[in-house]
Amino acid sequence: MRVKVYLVDDHRLFLAGVRAELSEAFSIVGSAYDVDTAIEEIRGLEPDVVLIDVHMPDGGGIVVVEGVGETNPEVKFLALSVSDQAEDVIGMIRAGARGYVTKTIEPADLADAVRRIDAGDAVFSPRLAGFVLDAFAGVMPTEEDPELDQLTTREKDVLRLIARGFAYKQVARKLNISIKTVETHVSSVLRKLQLTNRHELARWASKRRIV
Amino acid sequence: MSLIEVEAGGGDHLIVNRIGQLRFRRRGRDRILAGVAGGLADTLGVSDAFVRAAFVTLGMVWGLGVLVYLAMWLMALDRVEDTQPEPVATHQAVGLGLAFAGSLLFLGALGWWPSNALVITVGALSFGTAALTDRNMPGPLAALVDPSVDRPGRLRMLVGVALLIGGLAVFSSSVGPISGIGPVVLAVALTGFGILVAFGPWVTRLAQDLSTERRERIRQEERAEMAAHLHDSVLQTLALIQRSDDPARMSILARHQESELRDWLYGNAPIDGSDLLSTALKASARRIEADHQVPIDVVVVGDHPLNEDTRALLGAASEAMVNASKHSGAERISLYFEAEDNELVVYVTDQGKGFEPAGVAGDRRGIAESIKGRVERAGGAADIDSEPGEGTEVVLRMPVAAG
Repeated sequence: MRVKVYLVDDHRLFLAGVRAELSEAFSIVGSAYDVDTAIEEIRGLEPDVVLIDVHMPDGGGIVVVEGVGETNPEVKFLALSVSDQAEDVIGMIRAGARGYVTKTIEPADLADAVRRIDAGDAVFSPRLAGFVLDAFAGVMPTEEDPELDQLTTREKDVLRLIARGFAYKQVARKLNISIKTVETHVSSVLRKLQLTNRHELARWASKRRIV
Repeated sequence: MSLIEVEAGGGDHLIVNRIGQLRFRRRGRDRILAGVAGGLADTLGVSDAFVRAAFVTLGMVWGLGVLVYLAMWLMALDRVEDTQPEPVATHQAVGLGLAFAGSLLFLGALGWWPSNALVITVGALSFGTAALTDRNMPGPLAALVDPSVDRPGRLRMLVGVALLIGGLAVFSSSVGPISGIGPVVLAVALTGFGILVAFGPWVTRLAQDLSTERRERIRQEERAEMAAHLHDSVLQTLALIQRSDDPARMSILARHQESELRDWLYGNAPIDGSDLLSTALKASARRIEADHQVPIDVVVVGDHPLNEDTRALLGAASEAMVNASKHSGAERISLYFEAEDNELVVYVTDQGKGFEPAGVAGDRRGIAESIKGRVERAGGAADIDSEPGEGTEVVLRMPVAAG
């Protein structure tokens, strides 16, 4: 069965382009130009993966991710945005998106990212990996949840390689681990990013004028 | 008198009509006590200043105004809502006014008030003030010369001033002698009051106009600055793109413009960031991208001040980026910089054709020299990791004092 993909973007031309690029490999079940339609239709259609734009009128992608997440937590979101601003990236990930790629991504890479998200994996672009490393850099674990508060050495290694522009396959080879292990590391970084409520992340955000 | 009665009848009819569709509500905004007068003004479609004046005047008739006010308050105890008032037509407003005057005269004929002087004084003063304190009027004296004020507006001013003077005259002739205040003191007080009423609204409005104007000017300036910037950058780039027929060149121009616009919009580029390694690396990558038309993805983690040693790192990194752009054939290049606790690391990575490091030809020794030599002289280390067909990665390390 083909992966069911739903597209949300207020930029119609871009939407048409993505639809054309993905329609061969995936079943595009629908698309929306605005937040309200998107939430309603996604709840009804229950797609596997939603490609979501970050900047839209009426609250943007975060509202859709949160709104659908309340009722249909099994729907997975991949944020696709022209913005690589830290506040957008971190905001979408914290809202529950499983990945974040910028719109400059190559079509083949985008298809690959959708497949990866559908398989339950997380997708980190080089820039996102950089943001995460930056956010977690040089902090001491708090007593509440020391595990959540820092990245393991291995996770940092994986993120650094992604930030250096390597694909998962190359990361696996460089570290002499399997692709599955790379995926596990990336997923656990995503989980930490979504669950952690470290003050440092907030401070990091405010230092960069995010909040 | 008959005229007044006819008009008053019309006014009553009007009121009955209005009461028929009357859903009286107290007003939430712009209220002084409970919003009763404001609500009534909205329902009738007249200025709330007049309704307040009517209540005050009626208040002089053994407190009738207060009673009516309380009654209406009770009536609309749980109804507070702001409605858009429909302004009543001029003749209807006059009718309403005459109806009010008629009922006052009727009360007076019955002898239902304590003192003619009190009711007339207060009535004239409150209505006079009401006529002069319209929110949309600049003030009585200014209004007489202001060409933007229409005729009814001016008439209203004149009536207001006349009522004020009349009221003050009655007040000074009846109260003055009783209370024994000296006529000079009274005259001074009255003149001061008159000036306040005449010019007060005008002065406040002038001040408001001034601050509005200043805000507007600041907005205009901001808009002009934005327009100038967009013209210098975005429009020029779009023009260049339209003239260009080389897709790679177009893409570079667009990327270049995108990152510049982004920096400008979000204030990404720190104003004093020119002495930071991260800013310098980004700037260098952007320059090389523009020169060689190969996109460079820059990811920066942490930062470090720019000094002699880190300048060497910057120079070597730039050299590595230029090499990758010129020789690797890769579609894009990655620059990754991380400031760790005790060292700075720069990776310049491409997925291009790679080369055999051992077999570097003589003419490419310059590369090794300019990259390796530069970093090593500054106390760092450079590794070039490449295999034919597997891309190239240049790793530059520079130790720094912890902290």
